Amino acid sequence: MNNIAVHIFRFLIFVLIQSLVLNSLEIGLGIQLMIYPLFIVLLPFETSLPILLLVAFVMGFSIDSISNTFGLHTSSLLVVAYLRPFVFNMFSPRDGYDPLKEASIFEMGQRWFISVFGILILIQHLWFFTLEMFNISETLYVLQKTMLSAPLSFLLCILLQVIFVSKPKER
Amino acid sequence: MHNLLAFFRRFRIFLLFVLLQVFALSTYFTYLSFPRSQYLTSASIISSSILEVKNSFTRYWNLGENNKALQAENIRLRNKIKGSFIRLERPIVKIEDTLFRQQYDYIPSLVINSSTNKRNNFFTLNVGELQGVKRGMGVFSDRGVVGVIHTTSKHYSVLKSVLTEHINIDVIIEKTGAFGLLKWDGRDSKFGTITGISNDMILEKGTRVVTRGGSTIFPKGLLVGFVEKYKQIEGKPLWDVTIRFSEDYRSIQNVYVIKNLLKEEQDKLENTIPEDKDNE
Repeated sequence: MNNIAVHIFRFLIFVLIQSLVLNSLEIGLGIQLMIYPLFIVLLPFETSLPILLLVAFVMGFSIDSISNTFGLHTSSLLVVAYLRPFVFNMFSPRDGYDPLKEASIFEMGQRWFISVFGILILIQHLWFFTLEMFNISETLYVLQKTMLSAPLSFLLCILLQVIFVSKPKER
Repeated sequence: MHNLLAFFRRFRIFLLFVLLQVFALSTYFTYLSFPRSQYLTSASIISSSILEVKNSFTRYWNLGENNKALQAENIRLRNKIKGSFIRLERPIVKIEDTLFRQQYDYIPSLVINSSTNKRNNFFTLNVGELQGVKRGMGVFSDRGVVGVIHTTSKHYSVLKSVLTEHINIDVIIEKTGAFGLLKWDGRDSKFGTITGISNDMILEKGTRVVTRGGSTIFPKGLLVGFVEKYKQIEGKPLWDVTIRFSEDYRSIQNVYVIKNLLKEEQDKLENTIPEDKDNE
């Protein structure tokens, strides 16, 4: 299988979309869309945690260096990668994960994807905006940004899967 | 010793996570105040060439508006040099004027990457050390102040824009003559705030706010914005002044880097002032 090629291609696409398009969008109300957690979630189930962390680090690094954020994206993506196994275990199917499957909305079902990815993207946004503001008196604004941005990022991620991730073939 | 090794083996993944996390966060917080190298900024070669390609597409979006602004500036400058329309017979001789001496030199530049939606917004310019750009130089456009150079590489530089937390540009409100520090609260890229203006000053809506020119970064009288509203800060004898920026940072493109030719002289002179020991 040329699975690695697919993931490298996705890596490039996600980095470019995030740093060139989404980071220069200004929607207002403090909304900022972040889709790169989806890449970490879509990596194969059997990927070990150290590899996840390293991939997340490289990806965050590339986004940061293009969009002048100096490590903000890296930090929040590392959190996603570190928490991924825990969240996956929480929602693990009865007979474990099928290594042939992918963690997309089509293969794992809507309910699984909404709960797993919802938790991860909420934590990631909260971490990102808290670090960005780094001020207790701005807590309300951080919450406003998180609560408005996370659902929109979530919808965008579902849309991206409809476009880029192929549906499973009938077996 | 054995226990220690066992501990490391048990928590090695968590330690890796902490190590990477500490690295990312330390770069983030040190870069905000002082940059050490260019790897994580868009002044590095790979990211700046990506941005150059991006800019070759996106620069057309605000072209009309930018052209208008440049044209307006051209007309303004042209009005000043009426004398130069007379054609001289002999070749022009450079005049050594002993009354006036040029203090500021300007390097024209293009913003190839910018953002306005973050708490701290940094722009990338397509000029660098080879063109004489150095850290700490001021940057302005034909519509207003833009920021201060933060990092430089050979061909590119990263600029700390007005839309950052600790920009602290010395500004002065015209007519009143009150001066304060320019800040940005991170909400709206159209409005900034000025702190440190005593509330016995009489302010007026729509007054021009310009740079004060005390530091070596900006010349005096560069437009920053207009007073939008002001209100009393509770418990302090100060105004909370909101200004509307004259520059629209969302569509910024043509900027000038200010090279102060007398900066070294002023710095040298000011460094001879003895440190004030009573404040400690």
